[in-house]
Amino acid sequence: MDEFGPQMMMRKYWPLMVLSVGVLAIVAVGDAFGGEQLQTTLIEMLIRMIVVVAMQLFIGNSGVLSFGHIGFMCIGAYAAAWATCEPSWKQLMLTGLPEFLQSAQWPFPADIFMAGALAALVALLFGAVVIRLSGIAASIATFAFLAIINSVYSNWESVTAGTSSIIGIPTLGGPWPTVIFVLLTMLGGFLFQNSRYGLMLRASRDDDVAATACAVEVIRVRLIAFVVSAFFVGIGGGLYAHFLGVLTVDVFYLNLTFITLSMLVVGGVGSVSGAVIGVVAVTVVVEVLRSLEAGFAVGAAHFALPEGSQEIGLGLIMALILIFRPSGLTRSREIPWPFTTRSTTSASSQTPADDVAAAAPEPLKGAAE
Amino acid sequence: MIGFLQNLIDALSLGSLYALAALGIGLLFGILRLANFAHGDFITVGAYALIVPSLDVTAKMFIGHWPIILMVPTVCIVVVVLALLADALLFRPLRRASAPTLMIASFALGYIIQNVILMFYGARPKAVDLWSNLSQQVEIGPVRVPQLQLVTIAVTIVLTVGLTLFLRRTSFGVQMRAAAEDFRMARYLGVRANFVVGLAFAISGLLAAAVSLLFLSQSGQLSNSLGVPLMLFAFIATVIGGMGSLTGAVVGGFGVGLVSTMLQAYLPPELRPFRDAFVFAVVILILLYRPGGIIPTKALVQRV
Amino acid sequence: MLEVEDIHVNYGRLVALRGVSVNVDEGEIVCIIGPNGAGKSTMLAAIAGGVPLQSGTVRLAGQTISGMVPEAISRLGVSLVPEGRHVFGTLSVAENLRIGTFQRRDRANVNKDFERILEHFPQLRERLNQPGGRLSGGEQQMLVIARALLTRPRLVLVDEPSLGLAPRIIDQVYEILIDLRRRDGLTLLINEQSSDRVLKFADRIYVLRDGRVQLHDQAANLRGGQAIMSAYFGFQDRHNAPPSERTSS
Repeated sequence: MDEFGPQMMMRKYWPLMVLSVGVLAIVAVGDAFGGEQLQTTLIEMLIRMIVVVAMQLFIGNSGVLSFGHIGFMCIGAYAAAWATCEPSWKQLMLTGLPEFLQSAQWPFPADIFMAGALAALVALLFGAVVIRLSGIAASIATFAFLAIINSVYSNWESVTAGTSSIIGIPTLGGPWPTVIFVLLTMLGGFLFQNSRYGLMLRASRDDDVAATACAVEVIRVRLIAFVVSAFFVGIGGGLYAHFLGVLTVDVFYLNLTFITLSMLVVGGVGSVSGAVIGVVAVTVVVEVLRSLEAGFAVGAAHFALPEGSQEIGLGLIMALILIFRPSGLTRSREIPWPFTTRSTTSASSQTPADDVAAAAPEPLKGAAE
Repeated sequence: MIGFLQNLIDALSLGSLYALAALGIGLLFGILRLANFAHGDFITVGAYALIVPSLDVTAKMFIGHWPIILMVPTVCIVVVVLALLADALLFRPLRRASAPTLMIASFALGYIIQNVILMFYGARPKAVDLWSNLSQQVEIGPVRVPQLQLVTIAVTIVLTVGLTLFLRRTSFGVQMRAAAEDFRMARYLGVRANFVVGLAFAISGLLAAAVSLLFLSQSGQLSNSLGVPLMLFAFIATVIGGMGSLTGAVVGGFGVGLVSTMLQAYLPPELRPFRDAFVFAVVILILLYRPGGIIPTKALVQRV
Repeated sequence: MLEVEDIHVNYGRLVALRGVSVNVDEGEIVCIIGPNGAGKSTMLAAIAGGVPLQSGTVRLAGQTISGMVPEAISRLGVSLVPEGRHVFGTLSVAENLRIGTFQRRDRANVNKDFERILEHFPQLRERLNQPGGRLSGGEQQMLVIARALLTRPRLVLVDEPSLGLAPRIIDQVYEILIDLRRRDGLTLLINEQSSDRVLKFADRIYVLRDGRVQLHDQAANLRGGQAIMSAYFGFQDRHNAPPSERTSS
């Protein structure tokens, strides 16, 4: 069967179509029937979807666990803020910003792309340096990256207003502008996954040594994935800035890293569908827990879960998924093509991953079996 | 010169704390390939064990008021029990899991612990007075040193020596070292996997408890993310020193303490707030040139 | 004493052993030979509890040991000397030797055994305090065999003891094994690639190929015959095997 022929293409992009329809449906329903609280949750979910799908692009294909992506979200958010805040405010509060940034102001979609671009640039610089590392060293390097960004942005007062906040970022109305970016990101995820680069990366993921021996340019392709992934995370960050209206640095640190990672793990690291479904699933659960925390009245009594139950619940779910279903709800597979043909066993683009990073465990003697 | 000596002792004291924390992390990594992101939260729990659980802004000492001879072992027991529970409930089912899975699992554990503390103790940091008399200074030659720093260094030396003796002289220690090097082969020779792992968690918990007391005495403040910066720097120390190598963990701990203190002292004032960023950047540099760390262990080299 | 009954072992989708049955009586020396990839190492690992069985049973003196953890099987008297030696490089020679003794119940005999083993392996005595990683290949092989013997096993599984060793050293190793069988009544199950040595001293021989037992007979019957060669290389099979199997060899 022709790998790039029309029928194969249909199959490979079928999940994208299903997911897009699903997302649009959710947003349409929520927009029409939901109150303000639901709207807010919806937009936040969509933004997280962008970030998590972008994370999946890198982590799922390369098998390298990155703890640093929220750093790119931070970069994107502040970039969008710099681009859209009132010049007079910037000249007063953010004296460290270069002249052209202070005096200019860009309109809505432009600043989002700028946010993505800046994040991508930083990813290129940082990635060029560390992408050689693999395994645990790489993960720790990404963790260090997150910490560096957090430290730099927290302390560079003249540019980020440090631990106080940037205010006055114009907010978007409604979820629809964000939805477009969600669809774009998902498209990006599938395009990469189905491309030569994606294939090469997954080959290297499963066996680093063999892939190198086959002269696969692991490093170059990994860097490409890293930069593309950072681009979309930056976009998510830019949208987040507009969503919040007020920016502080401490939002972009360990908590958000944990939440996004858990969404990815719950859904399934190995597939874009996993990323999307994971975001929806975790959002639903967290919302349920949140309303239980708010409590409900039964007769005269008021029942409520103690504060902090949301987070503990999320943590427990993560732990349970890791133990019982490490490949995630989707088993790291994409949404399957439902119509069977004569040769149904042909051309499966995903190998089922039975572990979180979808990477074969390194042949270390230390692993207790 | 005096300033330099002062800074050196600061560095040694800070380095001791990091070395102890790094030992706790390095031990578990060596045996299980587990990068325990929850280690900082073990430390936090040790500190919170001292006060009465309540949401009040002011902390009421509970165990913290007991005589040292009772308090210290009790805190140690609390953290050790927590560590053993973590092993039994979370990490044992994940014995065959890959390193990234284990990392995320420990991340989740830390998240849970932090929020449980939040639930029972409230979100606001609380001031706590533990051995504040130790902040008095003592004169050693030309320098004046807070007693606490000397205590920290002394405790670290004692614990490190104790751990080394344990690993070298006792049968349990030899089994742990064998398991750290080649777990599978050790089991073929009759070494009990669960026992050795449990022992590692217990010792790791003990080290965390020591760090919690020393750190709390120094900082005087409880917060549910108390252990997180310690955990980060301890990780860095283990990575620099060589993951899986205990000597490396100690060397790395002192190294990080040294770099951090020296940067704090000698960076130009405008750059000082970014000290942490510099430290992390140094880490990345070291990772690049020696991904196995300064004292790499054979076990990490992939056999082709 | 050892009954391996119809075991199947998979590594993911790769089938390593397809229904292998082996028997070893007490005091015997049984050898398993076969080409690379035949499944010999997998079989020893499976007996020792290091890899899980898909199906089948392993029994030691009537007791079912399949499904037990390796350390428990070791305590029942099974000692594995795996391929590639696996010396604990950072532990001293003495510590390497002592590892297996910690689980023994007969504490009183440990020191005596220690002395006895060192008599068999004098090279080790000289190096007791050196790190295991510093020994030569031959010495390391001595070390791991000595180490395995110090667990006081009833059954010793040795995986390719001659791999990477000079012929003189291999002779030494086998002399020691046979001597110990004679003196202590050890039972030995040995994997080997080369058949010459094996034919000289084994009681019985199994030929393993493609995860299956191809041939099994008394060594005496096989000497000088073509049977081993055919089974090893699969001369006859190729003509008779169904098409799908042919492509898999």
